[in-house]
Amino acid sequence: MIWQFSWLLLAATVRAASLSLQSPRFTISASDATQLRSDTLSLTRKPEPLTLGATDILKLTFQITESDEGKGVQPHQTFLRFYDKESGEEGIQPVRVTPGGKAKFELNMMRPPASIPPTTHNPLEVSLILGSFVHAPAQYDLFDLYIPASQTPAEHPDEASFRVLPAIKHTFRPEQKSPPQFISAVFAAAVLSPWLVLIGLWSKVGVKVPNLFSLSIMPFTALLGAFEVLLVWYWVDLKLGQVLLYGGILAIPTVFAGKQALYATGEWRAGRK
Amino acid sequence: MAGPKSSSKSSPTSSEISVAVSTLWKSYIDQTPDRLKFIDAFLAFIVLSGVLQFAYCVLVTNFPFNAFLAGFASSVGQFVLTASLRAQVNPENKSEFKEVSPERAFADFALGSIVLHFFVFNFLG
Repeated sequence: MIWQFSWLLLAATVRAASLSLQSPRFTISASDATQLRSDTLSLTRKPEPLTLGATDILKLTFQITESDEGKGVQPHQTFLRFYDKESGEEGIQPVRVTPGGKAKFELNMMRPPASIPPTTHNPLEVSLILGSFVHAPAQYDLFDLYIPASQTPAEHPDEASFRVLPAIKHTFRPEQKSPPQFISAVFAAAVLSPWLVLIGLWSKVGVKVPNLFSLSIMPFTALLGAFEVLLVWYWVDLKLGQVLLYGGILAIPTVFAGKQALYATGEWRAGRK
Repeated sequence: MAGPKSSSKSSPTSSEISVAVSTLWKSYIDQTPDRLKFIDAFLAFIVLSGVLQFAYCVLVTNFPFNAFLAGFASSVGQFVLTASLRAQVNPENKSEFKEVSPERAFADFALGSIVLHFFVFNFLG
């Protein structure tokens, strides 16, 4: 336990040696190598925002040293961070550092790295991040950078499948109307008129039903009528399940009454013959 | 029912046709039992009301289409049931329906009608 603690103490003392940045310098040159702007960078105060044209090249050079001895070191991680405060987008670009601590970064706007965030009206805040296992980490805000407007992003192949589609508008047929009341009434009378024909023909044929009210026939007729009443009731009010239940109950006496009635009829028929 | 056949010449004149029809009608009136005439009257009633409903659907509107379907289907179904009842109770067809008594035929007719009316009222809406 004590041994581990002492190791931690040792690590803390080593970490106390921090990194520092020597002679940071930027150069902006056009594509034909003419130098447009060049200056050393102050770590305490940002320079005027840098502006890059569509074909310009930004070169950044610096050396990383240990602050105590001034000896160049190679940190384990060195990144340039391009951050857009407005959109919250950031791009991280690793920087190659030699074992002597010297680093050279080149940003060619002819071939911008994919990690640069899309442009807005704001400049990109460029900062340098140093990470090391044995030194305290360091972050330097270097400068603000205006770069040419980025192209509109390429359409993703699946974009069409996930796009918001226009709202579906249903079109319905206009509501159907009943014909004028007069025509309805005429045809209702016409459709009912066959009843007159039926009654007329039946009275002409004159079939007698002498046994209709006999005790063996009457229940069957009444139960058949009850079935029809039940179905009309179904049309008016009842639900399907109720009709099936009541119909099932009604069916039992109807079967017996029908058997008896038709047996009696059969007997009469046989007796007549 | 079995009326004498009209002459089998190629082009019967109108008077021949009217004679044939009147003979047919006369023999129907004379030879058909009253019970069958009773059923025939009912069949005529069903045909008339079915035709009138169909005419309304074609000429005016089919608007409550389910009601038209129910009404027309009840006409057709009832006609079929009644026609089969008539065929089974006809004494002349006795040899065809030896094992079907008229009572049995009427029981079938009643059951079939109730089921048909159930479906018709189901459609009526």
